[in-house]
Amino acid sequence: MNPLIPLLVAIPLAGAFLTMIIGRFITGIPRYIALATLLLTAFISFWLLVAGGGDQSVYIMGGWEPVNGIPIGIHLVHDGFSALVLCIISLIGLLSVLYSISYIARYTSGNYFYALFCLMIAGMNGVVLSGDIFNIFVFLEISAISSYALVAFGVEKNELEATLKYQVLGAVASFMVLFAIGFIYWSTKTLNIADIRAVFSEGHDRSYYLLIQILLLTGFGLKAAIIPFHAWLPDAHSSAPSPISAMLSGVLIKAVGIYVIIRLFFNMFEITGAMAVMITTLGALSMAVGVFLAIGQWDIKRLLAYHSISQMGYVVMSAGIGMTLLARGVRPEVAALAITGGIFHLVNHAAFKGLLFLNAGAIEYSAGTRDLHEMGGLARPMPVTSATSLAASFSISGIPPFNGFFSKLIIIVAAVMARFYLLAALAAVVSIITLASFMKFQRYAFYNGEPGRIGKEIKEVPLPMLMSMVTLAVICLLLSLLALPAIRDAVLTPATDILIDQMKYSSQITGM
Amino acid sequence: MQVMNELLVILAENSVCVLLQMLLIIPLAAALLLFIIPDRFQMAKGFAALAVTLYLGYIAIGLWSVSPQMVPQGDLIIRDCLAILNIDLLQKAGESVTFTVDGLSKLIVLSISVLSLLILVYSLLYNKSKRVSHFYSWFLLTLGCSYGAVLADNLILFVIFWGILGITLYKLIPGKDEASSAAAKKTMILIGASDTIMLLGIAILWRLTDTISMNGISVETNNILAVTAFLALLVGSFTKAGAFPFHTWVPDFAENSPATSSALLPASLDKLLGIYFLARITGDMFVMSDGMKVALLSVGVLTIITAVLMALMQHDYRRLLGYHAVSQVGYMILGFGIGSILGVVAGLFHMINHATYKSGLFLAAGAIERQTGRNDISDLGGLSAAMPVTFASALVFAMSISGVPPFNGFASKWMIYQGIIESGSGAGISSQLWIVWLGLAVLGSALTLASFVKFIGGIFLGRRDPALAGVREVPVLMWLPMALLALLCVFLGVFATGLVIPKLFTPVVGPFTFSGLWSSSLVSLLVLISIVLGFLIYLAMGTKRFRTGDIFIGGEKIEKLGASYPAPEFYKTFTEFSLFSRIYRMAEAKVFDIYDLSKKGVLWLSGTLSTAHTGLLPAYVIWVCAGLIIMLLIMT
Repeated sequence: MNPLIPLLVAIPLAGAFLTMIIGRFITGIPRYIALATLLLTAFISFWLLVAGGGDQSVYIMGGWEPVNGIPIGIHLVHDGFSALVLCIISLIGLLSVLYSISYIARYTSGNYFYALFCLMIAGMNGVVLSGDIFNIFVFLEISAISSYALVAFGVEKNELEATLKYQVLGAVASFMVLFAIGFIYWSTKTLNIADIRAVFSEGHDRSYYLLIQILLLTGFGLKAAIIPFHAWLPDAHSSAPSPISAMLSGVLIKAVGIYVIIRLFFNMFEITGAMAVMITTLGALSMAVGVFLAIGQWDIKRLLAYHSISQMGYVVMSAGIGMTLLARGVRPEVAALAITGGIFHLVNHAAFKGLLFLNAGAIEYSAGTRDLHEMGGLARPMPVTSATSLAASFSISGIPPFNGFFSKLIIIVAAVMARFYLLAALAAVVSIITLASFMKFQRYAFYNGEPGRIGKEIKEVPLPMLMSMVTLAVICLLLSLLALPAIRDAVLTPATDILIDQMKYSSQITGM
Repeated sequence: MQVMNELLVILAENSVCVLLQMLLIIPLAAALLLFIIPDRFQMAKGFAALAVTLYLGYIAIGLWSVSPQMVPQGDLIIRDCLAILNIDLLQKAGESVTFTVDGLSKLIVLSISVLSLLILVYSLLYNKSKRVSHFYSWFLLTLGCSYGAVLADNLILFVIFWGILGITLYKLIPGKDEASSAAAKKTMILIGASDTIMLLGIAILWRLTDTISMNGISVETNNILAVTAFLALLVGSFTKAGAFPFHTWVPDFAENSPATSSALLPASLDKLLGIYFLARITGDMFVMSDGMKVALLSVGVLTIITAVLMALMQHDYRRLLGYHAVSQVGYMILGFGIGSILGVVAGLFHMINHATYKSGLFLAAGAIERQTGRNDISDLGGLSAAMPVTFASALVFAMSISGVPPFNGFASKWMIYQGIIESGSGAGISSQLWIVWLGLAVLGSALTLASFVKFIGGIFLGRRDPALAGVREVPVLMWLPMALLALLCVFLGVFATGLVIPKLFTPVVGPFTFSGLWSSSLVSLLVLISIVLGFLIYLAMGTKRFRTGDIFIGGEKIEKLGASYPAPEFYKTFTEFSLFSRIYRMAEAKVFDIYDLSKKGVLWLSGTLSTAHTGLLPAYVIWVCAGLIIMLLIMT
């Protein structure tokens, strides 16, 4: 019972309401409230990561202890995997808020922005912490609805169209999730993830079980933008204000999409070979199709958005490879390697994709365009943006010594060790095309002539924005250290262990 | 204070282990330090880099006396430093960090040190006009990572250093205008792609052998996995060294980057590393089957011939040199393709020779460009009197690369020919085809000579354009490195059999014998004697009866062509030859460029896929439902 755990939801929630109330009377304060909220959340998340040492700790809301091993209250579960995702959420959130201080000053009604931002953080933290599937749904909706509003924040034609698509498809996803939860509750009479697993393991109807699995995969797959459920993402992620794009692409699709899929399919459902193959296929499909869609784009933010689909494909694919091996019961150490690679890539992607969207925002801020055709030569007037975006581009393309190299290396090695040679080759090819499209971004944005043709004086962006970008670039470099055995064992291995070892997850929750 | 003392104790310990780590940590740390200093203090940064490079050279020479060994880095310096501060982050990491010091890596480390030092001295004045920002930082990073790549035994460690070299290569192109930014993009994509393919190869090797230590790997190329791994690693080596069909970045890079960048990476360091890795692949890690040998030899001759044919028709002398930087790689690959000890020595020797004369040629090209500001051979001419040292060195380099005795290019090419002839007596397809390899290699050498006649004739001989009347020789800091490289070319050539091979190469491969009688010094002496005799005859005959006249081609005077004769015009015969003309036209349209081919394919697929994204919401909802239904159908 670590009392800090519920604070991760409560603090941002309180921050959201405080922002609105105080912001009504005193202007200029909300941004600092949001900053303080995120700072506190980040501090707690990292404290829990370091102090927790990867052990699972459960907080039972209201102190409703399990009766006869059957949980009756709402559980908040903090373990190796959720600890990592919580750190990502609060870190990228913090840097995005810092960035927004200058960036959002151009929009009116900043109060709403910061309030929605905190609400979104609260929702994501709730999804990640919750050990109860209905609670996951509730927090999912909180984060989704605030993100619908944030995507539409510019209230121009494009933004409204994007948010409409996002809302409709988001509603379809929510419907499917809710539907599946209904099925689950009907047959198991419980909503606790660990308990559901226990009840299902006593025996279940196979086709009924499959229907639930596929409904959940579709619902959360939509949130995670796995192909063919990805269509909302390029519009939504490119229309939002850049710090929000960084949050959506860097964090939201992971926290409410990938994280939940991995959590449910490893810790709630029995791992079956067929499902594992299905998830691997979806991952590989996203990875390959996403990158081909990305390379043809000339709008920077759309290009980045499509890359999110492709990079999430890597994560889903490697998780799927791990599942396949676990289902077959062979080479568990390779399965662990694959899952570690996937989680590592998830963390890395948050850093570099967040940074790339902030870079895109900086370019939009200074040059006033998102079209690569209209840019060029920005390296000289914007040296920091150029250098940080180069770091992020090399990260996402898997060039050493940046973090993306190490996670892709682990994924490729794991795929080969698991004898999925074609998937390994596909991962390599996708990585090459990723590199090509980021070299295109670098060339047309920062080199290739003089900045004169934009027709206005271009200056480097203000200090808070620079600080966020430089911090993220340094993080991109430092995350490589996670590949070192000592650090990997402390940070990544607990996350992998909790996924692989089924009993480990449920033992504390069910009290057995 | 105590911390400092403990640090000093660690650093004072003069073991191989510490030496190796100094070789890596010092340049990397210095590079990061120089990033902080603004480019205004260019000269100061240059001299700081020079000091670091000199010190590294000193360490590299110290390394030469070390006996061959594997160095497991149980005690990493950084780890010790951190341990003093009670942080043990690198625990367990030391075990996988292993380096190897053997004849081959010592040879390459020494060559890297010498070449980079000379290029750095040249760049002190050349880079005053800030051609590449943070040149010295990237230079030192390149240096440190090259040492790292050569010394690393762990393949992952190797590929990390190897990959960082791609970044430095990318950053050494200025990228300011359209052409150079396109070249930078293409270079990075090709290099990065090859690195990724190498990862695949390394992963397969890991799976086959359960180890990633280069010393511990020895795989027969007899099953599909081993062959895939072999080819994947070859792609990495070929792209770095610039061999067909992954060479296309080299000419673009050479054309669009400053001379120091071209001399440093594509001309010398990338060749040294690419061929070093080729030596490791073919010699240590794999046992080549006959089919693999044929593949290597075919790539070798294809590289020689295609690149030299492209070089013949170039107007821009930097691009011409770029194609030759590709063509020469073919000879090295031939050496390794033969696979005999003689062949390997010849390949390695040619690699070192090539690094000396090709970086020299790029430096000479840089000197010409700096003094005249012109890049086209047709616009130049008659510079021999104005730039005597540059001319003399360029002449030596040109004769070396064309394989004229007694220069070093001849020595190594001759050994390659010997190796091919010797292999003819063996069994297998690769040996039966020896005459093909030999014929094409000799033809390539002849065509190289032909294109260097253009280079020397077009730039230094003939009549000078009056606009170039004010051209002067470059300052001493720039011509000295060129002159030293030229002397090195002569030295390596003249003393090849007597001194260079026994001292430098026998430690790498062990003792071996040449087939037939060949002593480079004797040959040089004979060449010298014949030149002296010829000169004496010339003097004795008193041949003063020649007349000067205007230049004419085919009996027609050429008057409208201006002051100097445009050397490239002579080479039109090749491009207009009916068989070649079509190929040349296709080459100009980049039909053979693997980069452009794949680019077209990818963009086509991209276009096809994105037509499905109509932006209509109902369609997207249908996709979701279809996805759901398909999944349900498959699973039940």
